[in-house]
Amino acid sequence: MKDAPARDLFPGALELMVLRLLKREPLHGYALVQRIRQASNDLLQVEEGSLYPALQRLLKAGFVEAEWRTSSTNRRVRTYRLTNEGARHLTREVSSFERMLEGITRVLSLEGA
Amino acid sequence: MISLRQFFSRRRLYDDLHDEIQAHLDERVAELMARGIPRASAVAEARRAFGNVTRLEEDGRDTWALPALDSIVGDLRFAARQLRRAPTFALTAVLTIGIGIAASTTVFSWSRAVLLNPLSAVEDPLRVLALESRTASNEWTPVSWLDARDIRDHSTSFDAMAVAYPTALAIGRDAGSERRFGELVSSSFFDVLRVRPALGLFFTSNAAGDAPGAHPEVVISWDLWRGRFHADTTVLGATVPINGYPFTIIGVAPRGFRGSMPGIAVELWVPASMLGQIVPTGGWMLNDRKTRMFRVLARLAPGVSREAADADVRGIAAAIAKANPNTNQGMSATVMPLWESHYGLHDQLRAPLAVLGGASALVLLIVSANMANLLLARATGRRRELGLRIALGAPRRRLVRQLLTEASLLAFAGSALGVLGAGALAGSFRRLIPAFAVPTLISPRVDAVVIAFAALLACAVTLLAGIAPALLGSRQRITSTLVDGGRGASGGPQASRLRGLLVSVEMALAVIAVVGAGLFIESLEKTRAVSPGFAADHVAMGQVSLMLAGYDAARARSFLERVTDQLEREPGIRNVSVADYVPLSVGEGSWEDLEIEGYAPATSENMKLYRAVVTSDYFATLGIPMREGRDFTQQDDATRAPVMIVNDAFVRRFLPGRAAIGTRVRGWGRWFTIVGVAHDTKVHRLSEPARPYFYVPQAQVYRPEYGYTVLARTAGDVEQAAASLQRAVASADPSVPVYNVMPLAEYIGGPLVVQRAAVRLLGILAAIAVLLAAIGLYGVVSYSVTQRTREIGIRLAMGAQPPDVLRIIAGQAVRLMVLGLSVGVASAAVFARIVSSMLFGVSPADAPVYAAATAGMVVIAAAAVAVPALRALRVDPAITLREE
Repeated sequence: MKDAPARDLFPGALELMVLRLLKREPLHGYALVQRIRQASNDLLQVEEGSLYPALQRLLKAGFVEAEWRTSSTNRRVRTYRLTNEGARHLTREVSSFERMLEGITRVLSLEGA
Repeated sequence: MISLRQFFSRRRLYDDLHDEIQAHLDERVAELMARGIPRASAVAEARRAFGNVTRLEEDGRDTWALPALDSIVGDLRFAARQLRRAPTFALTAVLTIGIGIAASTTVFSWSRAVLLNPLSAVEDPLRVLALESRTASNEWTPVSWLDARDIRDHSTSFDAMAVAYPTALAIGRDAGSERRFGELVSSSFFDVLRVRPALGLFFTSNAAGDAPGAHPEVVISWDLWRGRFHADTTVLGATVPINGYPFTIIGVAPRGFRGSMPGIAVELWVPASMLGQIVPTGGWMLNDRKTRMFRVLARLAPGVSREAADADVRGIAAAIAKANPNTNQGMSATVMPLWESHYGLHDQLRAPLAVLGGASALVLLIVSANMANLLLARATGRRRELGLRIALGAPRRRLVRQLLTEASLLAFAGSALGVLGAGALAGSFRRLIPAFAVPTLISPRVDAVVIAFAALLACAVTLLAGIAPALLGSRQRITSTLVDGGRGASGGPQASRLRGLLVSVEMALAVIAVVGAGLFIESLEKTRAVSPGFAADHVAMGQVSLMLAGYDAARARSFLERVTDQLEREPGIRNVSVADYVPLSVGEGSWEDLEIEGYAPATSENMKLYRAVVTSDYFATLGIPMREGRDFTQQDDATRAPVMIVNDAFVRRFLPGRAAIGTRVRGWGRWFTIVGVAHDTKVHRLSEPARPYFYVPQAQVYRPEYGYTVLARTAGDVEQAAASLQRAVASADPSVPVYNVMPLAEYIGGPLVVQRAAVRLLGILAAIAVLLAAIGLYGVVSYSVTQRTREIGIRLAMGAQPPDVLRIIAGQAVRLMVLGLSVGVASAAVFARIVSSMLFGVSPADAPVYAAATAGMVVIAAAAVAVPALRALRVDPAITLREE
């Protein structure tokens, strides 16, 4: 897999965020961009388009499914939905992320002691 | 990793991605415009926020790429484009490869049908072995029913064992009767081959299944069922007369099953236990250990090696020999792969097919060398392009792959052409075999295995022809290629040296092919020039099988007399005789174990001598001179004392310095008195030395299983005599099938048909080899003339004369030729030694053949060089120099 251009905190964060949002409800690309922006309080200044290569990677991995639908605003949009496998992956990733975070926190607190 | 299906449905994925990005931008624009921003600014803002649309879309697409496959497809596309730009080159390459692969693939498909996979529709055929007996003097013989039974009962190495005896059978009655090729088999036959019936049942394989005379049952082939029985399912249970005895059809063999004779399609199977019904007096043959008539097939038990089975069988055969010294003293038995067995078509075809296979391999090597040459020339011509790509940073590996892709594209296209050619040629297999020898020859097919073989050859050609040009072509000095405008001397000294070497190799291989063909042609000529010892011209023949008509001795005698009388009355007929074996015909004939008065054989001396059972006037009819004594007469019948005529070689070996006439010889349990000595004749092969042979009168020794050949010498037209013969048999008994009615000379040419056809094919392959080598030489010389036009122009301008120019051009060709021819002659001598056992009357070092081959090559090479050399002479210095 090619290195995605530097775009966020750490590699895979964008994908993780997408999965997290899709867990709540199916969304299309534009809506996902809006939600990410809100969720991160505009802290994450993501190049909007970089969402799409990420979505292609998730599609290929089988974590999400896509379907053309008509949105509430009557637009033809490609809506993404989390698959069971995607949900499992999210759980795994979140817990490993939390373990990593816990590790970092401990290291930082050691230094403070 | 994504699946191939996804790979090929990528177009949809890409379209979705494109549409969705567009939808995103639209939505953003709409939102911005809703806030009152003018359209143009909204579009600009949407794009800014989105990022680089093209790059992101490409990033998205890349997710789906299969890097290796994509670049291979790319390489193939590029290669195809490159080749389309050089159609003459591509066409030449594909055509020559096509010819080479067609030849090899055809020989492969023939070999497969006869040698490699002779048992079609049989499960795990390679586990089925042939078992044969061997006499004390190391001659192979088939196996007797009792020996086969004993070996089966005592061996532990086999899952199952069966016997089979191939024979023609008359199916139907009277006018509706047909002669079909069948096998008399033991009840376990289908178990050994692991074949299941398409319809009905096969024989019940147990001891009761082989009880003599108990099972008048027949299994018919799929083709016979479809043909004669119109695929009628009610034939099961129906009765058909076979050799006049009623048999019940119990089953139909599956489609594609052709019995156990390699190369031959057998059409019906009858229990060998019915021998007594098929042949009126045949029952005894199953009880006589000396009647060694059966081929034995054995399926190896799991985990048992052929060597272990062989040891097992030898041990049992030794025990049988010990228990039955009268019949089996010194006899042994051994197992071998089916294609090594000594009975059947494959035994005659093994050597010719091996030689043809070798010759096609030579042609394919020449084709590869030729192709390597063409590719080298091309790589040189493309130095600029390749140099440029290197300069632009293409890794060498990438270039090698690209060049190999081109080579493989050509090789596979040629291979496809070759498969088509092989498909067209597969049927000409029939020409190898005289039509009368095998009524139902199988036709080799181009199936998946044959196609896979052709693909394998394509890979071999790609590697042989493509590697060197690819390695050399990709090793360019960027500066030199780009600086000198790609025109330089001749593409680097290495490439040009390699091209020269390749041409020499081609010449050497062609010499081997030509010398080989020459030796075999010479051998055939020598064989044909041998006198058979009898005069076949003006003799007509026709064969009858009295066994098929259910005759006993008395009826047979009366029938043969009627035919003879009738024929003798026909105009132009001089002599008529009947014999059970025609010299030089297909098959071995029969032998008898003899005891000769006053001759004490050595302990393991083979006293089984081949013989012919003949009627009166035999020697006059065939024009065999009598050395002393008399021909048989009508008086030599069952009421008189048995008489015998022997040949010269018989006298030389057994009765040297003694009076042959009057000597007594014991055979068939009786004493015969020698009444005549005939000149030696060839018996089995023109190429054999004279060997002891003897004749007995048909009226005194009758075996109904013998087929008889009626022979008629005419003063007139032999075709007319053949027609008279046919009429005479029909008027004697219309129910007796008569076959192979033809001039004797044509019939005894039969064994030569294989040789002649093989030699002709060998000649064609050698011609192709020479032609390809000549094309290679022409290519190299022609190319060097083109490259050196400038040099020649300058030389001419400086006062060089035409002979000087010729010397420059021809000098290179002569060097290549001398190298190629000398290496070729030396290797041909080595190969000739290998095939020397197949040659007759020609030494493998036959000087005239080598001289002719070399001279022929020189002439053709000179022609190939002459064209470009003349072009060199026509170089106009003014024009070439002005081009500077």
